Amino acid sequence: MKTTPAVREVFGFFGGLAWKTGKTRVFALLGLIPVALAVVVRIMLHGRTGDMVAVFTEILMVFFLQFYIVILALFYGTSITVEEIENRTLPYLITRPVPKPAVILGKYAAYGLLMFAMVAASLVPSYFILNFGRMSRPEVLKAFFINLGVLGLGILAYTAFFAFLGTWLKRAIIVGLIFGFGWENVIQYFPGSTQKFSVVHYLKSLLPYRPVSGGGGRGVALLLFRLEPTSPPGAVLALAAVAVVFLALACWLFRRKEFLPEE
Amino acid sequence: MATVREKGYTHWDGRLEERRLAWYPIARTGIQLAFRKKAFKFFFAGAFLPSFVALGGLYVSERLEDFKALVKSNKALLAIDPGYFKTFMTNASALFALLVVLVFAAAGLIADDLKHSSLQLYFSRPLRKRDYLIGKMAVIAFFVLVLTALPYLILVIFKLIFAGNLKFLAEYPWLPVSILGWSAVLTVFFAFYFLLLSASSRNTRYVTILIFTTYLFSDALAGILHQIFRTPYMWLFSVRANLQQAGAFLFGVKLPFAFPAAWSFAVLACVCVLSAAVLSRRIRGVEVIK
Amino acid sequence: MSAVISASHLSKWYGNVLGLNDVSLEIEAGITGLLGPNGAGKSTFMKLVTGQLKPNIGLVTVRGRKAWNNPGVFQAIGFCPEHDVFYEDMTGREFVAGLLRFYGYARTEIRDRTDRALDLVGLTADQDRLIRGYSRGMRQRIKFAQAVAHDPEIVILDEPLSGLDPLGKRKLIRLIKEFKTQGRTVLVSSHVLPEIEALTSQVVLIHQGKVLAQGDIPYIRELIESHPHQISVRSDDPRALAARFVGDRSIQKMTFAADGRTLVVETPNRDGFFGRLTGVLLEAGLSVEEISSPDDNLQAVFEYLVGK
Repeated sequence: MKTTPAVREVFGFFGGLAWKTGKTRVFALLGLIPVALAVVVRIMLHGRTGDMVAVFTEILMVFFLQFYIVILALFYGTSITVEEIENRTLPYLITRPVPKPAVILGKYAAYGLLMFAMVAASLVPSYFILNFGRMSRPEVLKAFFINLGVLGLGILAYTAFFAFLGTWLKRAIIVGLIFGFGWENVIQYFPGSTQKFSVVHYLKSLLPYRPVSGGGGRGVALLLFRLEPTSPPGAVLALAAVAVVFLALACWLFRRKEFLPEE
Repeated sequence: MATVREKGYTHWDGRLEERRLAWYPIARTGIQLAFRKKAFKFFFAGAFLPSFVALGGLYVSERLEDFKALVKSNKALLAIDPGYFKTFMTNASALFALLVVLVFAAAGLIADDLKHSSLQLYFSRPLRKRDYLIGKMAVIAFFVLVLTALPYLILVIFKLIFAGNLKFLAEYPWLPVSILGWSAVLTVFFAFYFLLLSASSRNTRYVTILIFTTYLFSDALAGILHQIFRTPYMWLFSVRANLQQAGAFLFGVKLPFAFPAAWSFAVLACVCVLSAAVLSRRIRGVEVIK
Repeated sequence: MSAVISASHLSKWYGNVLGLNDVSLEIEAGITGLLGPNGAGKSTFMKLVTGQLKPNIGLVTVRGRKAWNNPGVFQAIGFCPEHDVFYEDMTGREFVAGLLRFYGYARTEIRDRTDRALDLVGLTADQDRLIRGYSRGMRQRIKFAQAVAHDPEIVILDEPLSGLDPLGKRKLIRLIKEFKTQGRTVLVSSHVLPEIEALTSQVVLIHQGKVLAQGDIPYIRELIESHPHQISVRSDDPRALAARFVGDRSIQKMTFAADGRTLVVETPNRDGFFGRLTGVLLEAGLSVEEISSPDDNLQAVFEYLVGK
């Protein structure tokens, strides 16, 4: 079977399976927390539009960008290979007439779509609740789609990186946690080009908010703290490059490596 | 009804005296398995770093004259008192380092048994549920005590040796009790916390993520709620904050958060009770397939 | 007949542990049993044949094509793994149909093939239950179903009868034998000798990573020149019979069985012994109830070869 139809079939196989698992339900529930917070904030800050926008950018968007998509990508990204090895179901896949990279790409697509759906299911209501009454304004709608797009790109980039980690390392989770919650949180505050060695830098560069000199501004001080943004085309290119390069590495490794189940 | 081991298949008329700790083999095996992981040894060694830094501080505090240039503006930091120990033992980095070590040692304690259907093997032996759970908890207790009580009690001894007298202990006689009390709180809480999450899934990788997610997310959520509601009670949602509040209380120093420490103890106790309830249902010799 | 599966100087090790040691063999169409104790190298060989592992030395080909990193080879291979693992959140039907997708079939064909495979293993009634709720035997059968649903020319079964009850084993053995009549190639591994004997007479004996022997059981037995054959003769007067053979230098050992009616003779020259036996029986006027070769079976052959 050629790679493209094989990817499609792998996508179909895992796309249905991933939605059923208990873990997906737990992660989806996690995504309900911002919605609940949005409802509470809406009630408490009724009429104070500026503060509600600040809550979204300073609190919820930070939650989505620096926690939720990282956790999702870490689990599902490493699961692309690790779960097949841990569960010993890898023989079912690699003894089929599908190219090995198709397994990586198909699962990546399936899990990517699932994660995007979970993030969208959380972002859409929370954004809508906090911007209720303003959604007809073009800039508000535009900001929504940009935020959604940024999170989508983040999922693509992080998942690709964690998929590579999962294919390469035995203890991918620990390294992934150190990267996702250590490196990504610390390095973005470094000056100059150092920031560019993180995925979150490019994601923040794409957000529809701009930092003032000194970092941040009203309502985005935390979100864009010390950000020296890359231009949007450059940021998109960088994220796409991260996704493509690490996916390609994952596919290459998966093709070359032998996977022995831990006895 | 007589249990199997009391029935007469051994044809022995004597009285069976149980001089065994049924949980001990489980604890010993769990500890040995943890040390087999190479990465664990690295993180375990790294977790002692704060205590070495504290030791350095103790030494400098007794040689302030020699280090005058270094500590001229930091003299207050080297006041060796219960607050000094509390700072090193309860700071966020120390707690996180302990968490990482425990993830290696304890994430799979029950998850692996569920995955490999080992519970049936355990409970086909003369082993009670509580022996099983105590054995698993003992693994966690071992690492918590080795990384908290042990180094810091030794540090107290070092302080006395460096000072050349018992003045420090005379001034703060409750300090060793505080250290032990704090270690006990950490031990009990982390034992229940880790076993609760380990029992929630057969997948150790997922349990690892759950452990970090709940720990980090509880902190993030508490911070968010604090920003929204502007009340310190929102920090009750944070595992880290509750532990630090309890720790400050035990060391008799100023509480980091403006609410009574009893609330933090209550929250930690609730987690333990919830964990006990879940473990009681989850740990059984027979698998129920729905 | 050209070999379907061919291994040439195949070696595989896991770190310092040698899984297979310079294995060269050819497997032709029909049923071939791969026999050896646990840890002998059977699963390693199967994993090399199915491209899950890469040989450290040597080559393994399926229909002349390398197995490693060659997905095209799997169009004609069906593999039933040893371990009892599945995508537990799937139903039996979803599992078989899902894996059939990877062969490029149309939806209707996938549906028909799934129905046939489930019917073949007797799981039609339970097809919509989650696999996690299946019994051990059902799980083994669904594993077999996914291996044969695409009608592969070559079927590789790693311990396929494990976990089945006697009736289930019989059904599966019958199914596997049908594959032979259909001209397929089946490679079956087991460490249970009667199972292999029930399936086929063509065996490959593996032990400690090496092939000890290959061929049919009597042929292998004949190869073992160093070990004498055992022949058991039950008659009304075994001692009189024994007395007739005491002077025969070709007989190495004679024992009497516990029942008191059976003489067990060990001789390297089995045919010669049978030739003389008929004459002796006629001369002595002895009657014989039964003549058998207790060691002309896989168990004895294997034990001789591994020196146990």
